[in-house]
Amino acid sequence: MRLHFFPPDLFESDREHLVRLVHEIGTARPEGASQRFILGEHTARFEEALREQLGAADVVACGSGTSALTLVLAAMDVGPGDEVVVPALGCAPLASSVVALGAVPVFADVDPWTMVVDPEVMERRITPRTKALMPAHMFSVMADMPRFAALADAYGLRLVEDSAVAQGGVRRGVPAGLAGEAGVYSFVQVKTFGTAGEGGVVVTRDAELGRTVRMLRNHGQDGRTRFLHHRIGWNSRFDEIQAAFLLHRLPGFPARLERRARIAEHYTERFADLADHGVLAPPPGRDGRCYYVYTVQAERRDALAAHLAQRGIDSHVYYPRTLPRQPAFARYAGVGVDPAAEWPAAERAGDRMLSLPVHPQLSDAEVEYLADAVREFALAG
Amino acid sequence: MDPLSCSDRREPPPGVPFFTQAETFAGLREVIDGHLAELLAQGKFSHGAKVGEFEHALAAYTGARHVIGVNSGTDALVLLLRAAGLRPGEGEEVVVPAFSFVASASSVVLAGGRPVFADIDPVSYAMDPASVERVLTPSCRFLMPVHLFCQLADMARLGELARLNDLVVVEDSAEAIGMRRDGVHAGLLGAGGVLSFFPTKTLGAIGDAGAVLTDDDEIARTVDALRHHGRFGRTLGDFRTINTSSGVPGYNSKMDDIQASVLLAKLTRLDADIARRAELAAAYTERLDDTPGVLRLPKPVGARCGAKADPVFYVYLIEVEHRDELAAHLAAHGVETETYYPTPLHLQPCFAELGHRPGDFPHAEAACARALALPLYPDLTFDAVDRVCDLIRTFRPSTSRPATPYSDTSRPATPYPGTREGARA
Repeated sequence: MRLHFFPPDLFESDREHLVRLVHEIGTARPEGASQRFILGEHTARFEEALREQLGAADVVACGSGTSALTLVLAAMDVGPGDEVVVPALGCAPLASSVVALGAVPVFADVDPWTMVVDPEVMERRITPRTKALMPAHMFSVMADMPRFAALADAYGLRLVEDSAVAQGGVRRGVPAGLAGEAGVYSFVQVKTFGTAGEGGVVVTRDAELGRTVRMLRNHGQDGRTRFLHHRIGWNSRFDEIQAAFLLHRLPGFPARLERRARIAEHYTERFADLADHGVLAPPPGRDGRCYYVYTVQAERRDALAAHLAQRGIDSHVYYPRTLPRQPAFARYAGVGVDPAAEWPAAERAGDRMLSLPVHPQLSDAEVEYLADAVREFALAG
Repeated sequence: MDPLSCSDRREPPPGVPFFTQAETFAGLREVIDGHLAELLAQGKFSHGAKVGEFEHALAAYTGARHVIGVNSGTDALVLLLRAAGLRPGEGEEVVVPAFSFVASASSVVLAGGRPVFADIDPVSYAMDPASVERVLTPSCRFLMPVHLFCQLADMARLGELARLNDLVVVEDSAEAIGMRRDGVHAGLLGAGGVLSFFPTKTLGAIGDAGAVLTDDDEIARTVDALRHHGRFGRTLGDFRTINTSSGVPGYNSKMDDIQASVLLAKLTRLDADIARRAELAAAYTERLDDTPGVLRLPKPVGARCGAKADPVFYVYLIEVEHRDELAAHLAAHGVETETYYPTPLHLQPCFAELGHRPGDFPHAEAACARALALPLYPDLTFDAVDRVCDLIRTFRPSTSRPATPYSDTSRPATPYPGTREGARA
């Protein structure tokens, strides 16, 4: 048996449809008008479909989740001299989107079990220069957004929700992305609602912020007057092929999400008694979860990975090094700071995390095979 | 036979769109399908094997030592500036022309630098070396000429100026695929250059895409890292490398493999497309020569300082007296045009803090008042060129007031009544 971590056949059932879309869009002949491949009707329909489904004020399609984060921060006027508090553990855009605007990322430690940034720790990182908080949902666990919202309120800070991994997740009735002022989703293929290329959206309850992001994603133009550039903007646009493809995939999204959740629940059940044997499963439950990636923490992580690999099971270590340990961001960690002492939970998680396949194509037998292999390793150890 | 590839020339469509590539695309169906089949088998849809294959093909076409595929020409410029040594937030300046698409200057800001504008040469529309000399400051570290419409900037004189003033030359060659100077492709005449594959471009995708071209190993290595979150080493086609630490703060500027597939197919007929564009441009010139109200037709400079220059007609741009009225007249008859560009960069609201005034760069301002781009693409028929030219020749303005150079900063760039939003984004 071979279990891929990054399955190459994500869109197997939609192959023909994708090829057909490429041709339909490539050969479209709009009556007496130019062809349009970027930010056209399909994109508008896709944005509207998501907006309606979420009950958001606006959904703005962008070039990627990374760039969506940058645009949100720029729309909030984050710039030189500002600090943004971000998790010490997570994907590079958490820090690089802040750096791209000339601002300074300040790192906060995570919860040792969930690996999600801790509101109390984030509060301690707030300084007079802090402009915004940017908590992130991590793997399958959503950040405690109500507490971050209270923090942002109390200190008068902007609140960006890095929900790039959490599309489909809901916490106490609030969809991921809508708990702060604005959130983002990423559609890179491996995400819960991945597409056949790059893409992302900004989701927001704030219509004015949405308008600003619309301007920023297309060179600072207002969507009415061409070549009039109100603000310095980006080229972070969405193309019609991806929009049409995602519209086609949208009805199947809930079922794929449910399949991920069931697989994850099953793993967590089967791993429940392994905590004393060096393999810690994520917390159980459905609320505040989004099963993009299923990650355990293992004391002998590399041995577990090798054990699985021997059985044909791919696994992945997403963040072996914390953000302040990476050469790109070390200068923001502080002079003379020891990362192991400053962000101990993030460091420990980096040493122990191992992500297991949870994609919806897995069969029940494959899921069982994987769970058996993990148990076998833990109980033998 | 594929019905889509069968167009009936006897019944031309009612209008002339500014841009379409529907027929070209239909004609490439088998080639594109072949690439898509391979892509679906590979299963990585951005920053994948098709992007790598396209980079190799483009390196062969341009002669560049390195081609790095990215998501847009704009990002290509930002990455190139960073990789060529621009230090963000240090007040470093980049000289750019006042007449261009906004990305020629906004990319400088996005990379953390500051643009310094120079005026253009009224014939080539590219940066005027004499103006560059006037605007240079001690903080200028880079010179970024832009090759617009159909020909290269005066790279011999600009290169000499850069040498004398210790400036690094990076080329905004976004529009310049196929343009060469003594056989050297645009983008390879300085430290590096870019290409845009925006759909209307000479080599156009059906979405956004771009590339950086360079012969410099270190610039290439850095651009390669910057496009993938600052991760050095090979990341193309391998998902597992997403856990590589960021060596420098980077971006997500990854190219889509669907776009790479389309571009690979179109690259096979690029030289034929360029030849077709030249024929269509010649037809325009023949029909529009000596037309009252037409102030200027494109004039490629064949050779400069003994160097042979190959023009490539990406855009057929004319200057006319009553530009907005003519555009409206053409639109009323179903002919789409485009105004490249209605407002010079130094007078754009986004650069207001640089403090420029009308009159600072008269050639750029004059071009903005008069320039009009006519439909030009390989799918265009000579019948359509005839129609467009007939409409221009029979056009009579309702007023005798000629176009005046841009004279009022409060005046917005007006959209032309009747023009459609077509290919534009």
